[in-house]
Amino acid sequence: MAWGRTTLSLTVAAAVFLRWMPHHGWFAATLVAASVMTSAAINLTRKRRFHRAINGINDEAMTPDVRSIAALAASVVVLASLGIFTVLLIPVAQ
Amino acid sequence: MEKLDARRDGGRTGLSGLILGGGTEPDPRFTLANERTFLAWIRTSLALLAGGVAVEAFMADLFGPELRKTVALLLLVLALLIGGGSFFRWLNVERSMRRKNPLPLPWIAPVLAIGGGLVVAIMTVFVLVRPF
Repeated sequence: MAWGRTTLSLTVAAAVFLRWMPHHGWFAATLVAASVMTSAAINLTRKRRFHRAINGINDEAMTPDVRSIAALAASVVVLASLGIFTVLLIPVAQ
Repeated sequence: MEKLDARRDGGRTGLSGLILGGGTEPDPRFTLANERTFLAWIRTSLALLAGGVAVEAFMADLFGPELRKTVALLLLVLALLIGGGSFFRWLNVERSMRRKNPLPLPWIAPVLAIGGGLVVAIMTVFVLVRPF
């Protein structure tokens, strides 16, 4: 459920990025696409993570999902960096 | 069974082995709790990101361009720090649990408190001094 809530947050962020499209043009579409793709990737791998957690609890030992966690953190850092870049350097269309 | 024993003894391979290093596996419920805390920080970061974009996009009629840009940048930088910091907090907690060390203090909590306080202070000053 925690991953599900995170996909919802990413979708909301994508919807807010859409509001930038009239002002910052197609560069804002990159941010929307990145958010939606991250959200989709989390959804597509949800089943694997669920079974991994179930098996871990059954076995009383589990390896953390380093790849998913690192990828999500990297995605958020990239989104925030692109947001800063947009505010500072992308000219506003009149 | 051999594989399970290897996992309990910290027989991690690939990226997990490289990043998490030695020690023994903690209770899986602690690992999952740490993951959920990481996700909560990530959602905080995403909320700050959306807030920064919203200030830039929706407040054109209310704020001047300089103030709008300052508040938006503050929120976006905060989102960047919290997003990146959440990974290192997760990693430090996971390593500490694995080595049975005391849990480290999260430095992103004071960053969020100071950054959030700064944004609230700017907004308060703006509301108090703006002409009606």
